[in-house]
Amino acid sequence: MVFSFIVIPLLVAAFLPLIGKFSKKLIPDVLTNAALAYLVFNAVMLVKPLLAQGTILQNVNWFGEQVNLAVALDSFSLFMLFTISLVSLCITIFSVDYLEHYGHKANFYALLLVMIAGMNGLVLVPDLFSVYLFLEVAAVASYALVAFGLGYDELEASFKYLMLSVVASAFALLSITIIFGMTGSLSFQAVAQGLQDLQARYVIGVCIAFFIMGFGLKAALVPFHAWLPDAHPSAPAPISAMLSGLLIKVSGVYALFRIVYSVVGMTPVLTQVFLALGTVSMVVAALLALGQKDLKRMLAYSSISQVGYIVVGLALGTPLGLLGGLFHLFNHAVAKGLLFLNSGSVQHITGTRNLEELGGLDKRVPVTAGTNLVGALSIAGVPPLAGFWSKLIIIMALIQAKEFGYALVAILASILTLWYYLLMQRKAFFGPLNENLKQVKEAPFWMSAACVILALIAILVGVFFTPFVKTWISPAADVLARGIQHVLTWGI
Amino acid sequence: MVIQIVLLCGLVLFSGLAILLRDLIKAALSLAVASLFLGLIFFRLGAPYAGVFEISVVAGLITVLFALTIALTKKEDEVQENRLVKIIFPLFFILFLIIDGLVMKSLLTKVPALPATPEGESFGLVLWKQRTFDLVAQIGVIFAGVLAVLALFRKTGKDEDKDE
Repeated sequence: MVFSFIVIPLLVAAFLPLIGKFSKKLIPDVLTNAALAYLVFNAVMLVKPLLAQGTILQNVNWFGEQVNLAVALDSFSLFMLFTISLVSLCITIFSVDYLEHYGHKANFYALLLVMIAGMNGLVLVPDLFSVYLFLEVAAVASYALVAFGLGYDELEASFKYLMLSVVASAFALLSITIIFGMTGSLSFQAVAQGLQDLQARYVIGVCIAFFIMGFGLKAALVPFHAWLPDAHPSAPAPISAMLSGLLIKVSGVYALFRIVYSVVGMTPVLTQVFLALGTVSMVVAALLALGQKDLKRMLAYSSISQVGYIVVGLALGTPLGLLGGLFHLFNHAVAKGLLFLNSGSVQHITGTRNLEELGGLDKRVPVTAGTNLVGALSIAGVPPLAGFWSKLIIIMALIQAKEFGYALVAILASILTLWYYLLMQRKAFFGPLNENLKQVKEAPFWMSAACVILALIAILVGVFFTPFVKTWISPAADVLARGIQHVLTWGI
Repeated sequence: MVIQIVLLCGLVLFSGLAILLRDLIKAALSLAVASLFLGLIFFRLGAPYAGVFEISVVAGLITVLFALTIALTKKEDEVQENRLVKIIFPLFFILFLIIDGLVMKSLLTKVPALPATPEGESFGLVLWKQRTFDLVAQIGVIFAGVLAVLALFRKTGKDEDKDE
């Protein structure tokens, strides 16, 4: 059941290029969406058994022979799997209509599913080297997906992304190598135990610095963010949504904080480093977003800023901070996924992403305008939307931890966020209708449907945030709060 | 001894080819074969983990990345290489060597590494029994690479118009 998160996307991806030979649209659409719908269902079905067991460890037998195919599912992994599956499903629903003008749907879906399998694998493996390998599975697929349009900008952005991403992977691999050299093992449990036994503060410090550089680059934290504002806007809209909504969080934030909390152990110094990095990211990127005229570029900068909030929350290490960080991770995945999909709709119906050339779209495309407003207000932290609660929790956690300076900056950055999102909304959707846009029509059905689903999630999670937090976020935050002790109790 | 010499000759030969071949794909494949030989040498020297990782990362993953990078470039692109690259790269390389020699070496020698688990098992056993998940991930990486090359070398509407 747990393996299906890796196996099903890989299997469907393997058959899609063949299926694409005789069914260009219908079967690839149905198969991909069905696979992801099953993964969402699977994640929901695993909540109960996981709450009863704590951690589910599975090891596969190969025709009766024991092989080392072990996965470890805890509440943190399950929360990530649920987020990945849910947002990916909405993105593939959107792609049904959006990909009509790109063609080659089967190839696109296959790459997308490999990327999802890579992210799911990364979340499930209990081994440092496997983390690196699955990171690369997702990354290799994402390079191709960024360049899928084959235009000059796409190829250039993908090339830049590849070059910087390889540097990031090299840093992560270097750190893993040093840890392997010291502990003679790669499994989370053995490394956590080994590092406890070793008196090697400085070397571990160097390893963490490499991890921060590697995964910080993947998460696009300032000052490692240079690749993101090029890569994310250039990709097709569903891929921008995948990258900003999910990939930077899984291959950056999840990988970094899983290793820091469950393998190396959080320290007060690390807390301060992450708080500083997170705060700089949220402010610098928000200021950069203000001056953007390209809709997707503005959203890309906003992603860097919001990752800053997530990092600040997770860095605190207090139960409230972890809760806020993880909750914001989910809310940002949903809202940023929604906003990038909406930007795809806007480009699809108007042919431009330039905010100066848009205006008054709400009169012609009320669904796109409405869902965009929900996404923007959720990220900006306006009640009662989901993003409001997560930001509030992060700021409360900062105040509770007596980090008043950081709390003030977080509030000010939130005001900045609201400012540039209202600016975006006003330029694109409000005001008098641009003369050139009088003929535009609402986006096709599946594109609008995906945006409506994501907007509803942002609203419903905000309204019913208590049961949602209790089911998904609290158990995940508990796993991180237990730190190394959580991994040491695994019986691998 | 004969096997060792054959492996070493293979390593040198394919490493040389990786540098000398003008065709980038062939050069990348030569590097992959060279890594394969190096991985086997590691294994014969009693370090199966290093061998498995060498084959897994360099022969598998890096080759996919090379193929993908080549796929992302176009024949007609004129690349004006920045002159700064010629200065910056050697500078960084020297800086890296200094950091590696002075800091990392001294740091690592200070650390009493834990005794590693015995690595005397066969290559197949290490790959199959201990690092099985790497195989799944490698299949994923290679599969992603193949799909990527298929997607990036596909015929677009413009290409089809040109053909006509």
